[in-house]
Amino acid sequence: MIRLLVFLICLSPLLAADTPKIASPKSPIKHPYAPVEPSPSPLEDLESLEEGDALVSRKLAESSILRVNSTNQAYDFFQPWLKKSPISRRGVGVLVQGGRVLVTAELVMNSNFVELEKATTAEKSSATVERVDYDCNLALLRPNDPAFLEGTKPLALEKSLRVGGEATVLQVETNGEIAQTIGEITSISVGTYPLENLGLLLYKLRVPLQQRDGSFTLPAVSDGRLVGLVMRFDARSQSADLISTPVIRHFLESPAKARFPRMGIAFSSLRDPQFRRFIGLTEPGGVYVNEVSPHGSAAEAGIKKGDVILALDGRPIDQDGNYEDPNFGRVLFSHLTNTVAKSGTEVIFTLFRSGKLMKLPAKMQAPDRSHVVSEAQLADQPPNYVVLGGLVFLELSRPYLQEWGNDWINTAPKRLVYYDAFQNELPEGRGKIVILDQVLPVSETLGYEAIRSLVVTQVNGRPVRSLVDVAEAAKKPLKGFHKIEFEEDPKTIFLDAAAVEAHQKALIEQYSLPALQRLKGEKSR
Amino acid sequence: MPTPRIALGWVSARLSEMLRVSLFLFCVFLAAALHAAEVAESLVRIEATSQEPNYKAPWSPGDVSSGVGAGFIVQGDRILTNAHVVSNVRFLTVNKEGDPKPYAAKVLYVAHDCDLAMLSVDKAEFFNGTTALELGDIPVIESTVSVYGYPIGGKRLSVTRGIVSRIDFQTYSHSGMDSHLTIQIDAAINPGNSGGPVMQKGKVVGVAFQGYSGDVAQNVGYMIPTPVVKRFLKDVEDGRYDRYVDLALTEQNLFNPAARKALGLTDDDVGVQVGTVYGGGPSDGIIKSGDVLLRIDGLRIASDGTIDLDGGSVPFTEVVERKFRGDSVQLDILRDGASLQVQVPLSEPWPFSLQSSAYDVRPQFVVFGGLVFQPVDQNLMDEYKPSNLRLEYLFDFFVEDGIYRERPELVVLSNILPDSVNAYAKDFVFSVVDEINEQKIRRISDVAAAFAKPTDYYVIKMVGTGRPLVLERKAVEEARSRILERYGVTSEYYLKK
Repeated sequence: MIRLLVFLICLSPLLAADTPKIASPKSPIKHPYAPVEPSPSPLEDLESLEEGDALVSRKLAESSILRVNSTNQAYDFFQPWLKKSPISRRGVGVLVQGGRVLVTAELVMNSNFVELEKATTAEKSSATVERVDYDCNLALLRPNDPAFLEGTKPLALEKSLRVGGEATVLQVETNGEIAQTIGEITSISVGTYPLENLGLLLYKLRVPLQQRDGSFTLPAVSDGRLVGLVMRFDARSQSADLISTPVIRHFLESPAKARFPRMGIAFSSLRDPQFRRFIGLTEPGGVYVNEVSPHGSAAEAGIKKGDVILALDGRPIDQDGNYEDPNFGRVLFSHLTNTVAKSGTEVIFTLFRSGKLMKLPAKMQAPDRSHVVSEAQLADQPPNYVVLGGLVFLELSRPYLQEWGNDWINTAPKRLVYYDAFQNELPEGRGKIVILDQVLPVSETLGYEAIRSLVVTQVNGRPVRSLVDVAEAAKKPLKGFHKIEFEEDPKTIFLDAAAVEAHQKALIEQYSLPALQRLKGEKSR
Repeated sequence: MPTPRIALGWVSARLSEMLRVSLFLFCVFLAAALHAAEVAESLVRIEATSQEPNYKAPWSPGDVSSGVGAGFIVQGDRILTNAHVVSNVRFLTVNKEGDPKPYAAKVLYVAHDCDLAMLSVDKAEFFNGTTALELGDIPVIESTVSVYGYPIGGKRLSVTRGIVSRIDFQTYSHSGMDSHLTIQIDAAINPGNSGGPVMQKGKVVGVAFQGYSGDVAQNVGYMIPTPVVKRFLKDVEDGRYDRYVDLALTEQNLFNPAARKALGLTDDDVGVQVGTVYGGGPSDGIIKSGDVLLRIDGLRIASDGTIDLDGGSVPFTEVVERKFRGDSVQLDILRDGASLQVQVPLSEPWPFSLQSSAYDVRPQFVVFGGLVFQPVDQNLMDEYKPSNLRLEYLFDFFVEDGIYRERPELVVLSNILPDSVNAYAKDFVFSVVDEINEQKIRRISDVAAAFAKPTDYYVIKMVGTGRPLVLERKAVEEARSRILERYGVTSEYYLKK
């Protein structure tokens, strides 16, 4: 739910290109609130390299960057008991403190085998994915050979950056040489990160990168400090999206299992003077809260739909939702709540509600995943399923819809696309959406062969809110039949329970199924 | 399989687009040897000038275009043709084959749900020397038929010949929603064949109407068979076309032995199971989801939903297809293991036709503060092709999910005529209007009524999340004449159905 809300935020016009930016430090904007000093980080104490370019790259190559090769294998959601063919991804990782290598999560998503390779000597070590966070698209690798990183040096993080600044993207040539491409930062804003669609601080770098293998994760440096990791590159516009240093810092400094906190609201700009007069708002700036996700940080704090957020921790927020960041300029305020704040940090909202100003403290929290109806990604874990007499059941998720291809929004079954898109509007307690994905034809399923992607409402009279419900209900057939009911036609089908039971083994053999169900980590709802 | 599209041999942007996409209608005349001479006395070339409304500027009367189709003379000095030949028509002339003189004609009845129309000619002399064609029966598979019309490639009568390839239900692409019995033939049928007779042994066995363009399928043409034509002729006998009636339900095959046993059926291949019964339809309250339909008007329904009728196997709905408004149908059903017999009165046609392409209607709209509000229908969706998930959901599942219960019409903010009054409204385009000043919007006329009430602020709440759109009365009034003048808006609303 919360993921979707944040997604909405990112799509809102707030992020339009014409968002006002105040780049000049001489900007006359003054406010009575003292700017908050960024909290000191152990990373900043690291020595940075400040020599000539060629020397820098060689030093970096030897001491701070590594080639990373990952062999990944995702599960096939149309045949959830199978893995798809393995794919290879290559990237360039950055050494960070503690003898760990930082890469994008995408590089090692569903990885079977990860390998580190020194650029100059081609010396290799296998590695373990120690931490992965799909919110911020980052992962930490630990070499399996503890001696592998001897003589290497972690890279420090750049603290601040302005539009117009330069950064150098590092690639590794086949001969081990470091290719350096200089680019210019064209924007610093909150943008959508892949995988979880969370809005986090993102740099855009205009840079003429050459196609080399290793397109997942490329470090960008400036003055010997890490500026960010390239996670997307559009060759046509020569534009690279970089995971920003505040996001990297948040990831590195958070405990292993912590996820990024989220407000759990959707808001819109307050540019329209007619609307400002209508709600009686005379204060400058502010954004209008459209939607508050139940159980989110904002909801827990008591923020309501219709509130106007005027300031956060004393920083005024403009009509598009931006505040003046001391390090990055005009940035959407969700950067403060999702990245600057750690999970558990309290922030103070200044609100305008029903004609009055008020202050409201809110503890920023990562969302409670148990309320998510359709997961945005399910990497590194086999999908759960239940096969009952040839009927294959699973739970709706974004990866399932993505099996229809890049244009899944238009090609996947409409009802399921809508369930995914509007899941935060479903009644409380709706649970997961269980789907009869397909029918593996056997004699029991005669006449049902064409059934695909139906939403299951009941099995044997028991309401279905999770796969466990299906498995449990299947133990109690009604008068010798399994009765399965759907939201859409054919509404109801029946299976002969005794025949299903008797032919279990045959079904497993016929379709080479490893098992008739997998319910890892599932709870009944 | 692509849906067959209809295209007349005329130069309208919309039709030429369809032509590109896939199918054509045909109006072909055959002048084949002996028969051609006879048929020539009954064949009519129709030139229609039509005006297709512009849903993006609904106050505009629309672009004028003209096209050519075929028709033929039937009993009572009437001409039969396709509805799509005379849709949105403003002026109509007909020519007899071989007679250069055009005669002004009028549309007497038009049936968009089965793509048929009946024309009359003002001057009775037109019919001198003509012969009314007789309607035959359904031709047998593989028998030869001749198609007559005025397809592209020349001005004179053209004849093509083929065999009957298939007899089945097909979607009639003119409305895009209705399907009726259709006969597939392999004769060449092209734009301009539309409305022309398909002949066998001196009798009409069908009306050429649609086909595929060559890049989709070769030698596939479709004609409207005589049961559909006869039904149309009978329907209009009372001076009014009442449209088709429908049970408004879905059904599933019952092949599965377990399903048959669970429902209390024997292994005799009889019966289909009811899936959805659409609220507001004639079966609502009489038939329930899960019922098994065993017989229709005494005819046994097989487990694949077919019945034996006139010596062939056809979907059981053909029984309903042949009925008229006011008739009823008798169904033998099995409910929870008990047999019962029910009568379904077929009083009204299906009321929620927004997913059908509409013709001969002016688009309804309201313009207020430069915001254009329109009821959503297929025409609007075709014109704007909005990519808005919420709107697409409400439209796609309007009937299935019973959205019509809350809103008989979906009213959408379809367009903005930019002005300072609506400078910040852009993000609301394609939102469905929920309330205006706390008045629920159930149809487009509610929008007009809500804006007619004076108030300082007009608060427009949309379906879904998001802030309301607010317009100040003062600003709207100030902008009113400016917007109308600048954008050539000749009228601020049209609300008639």
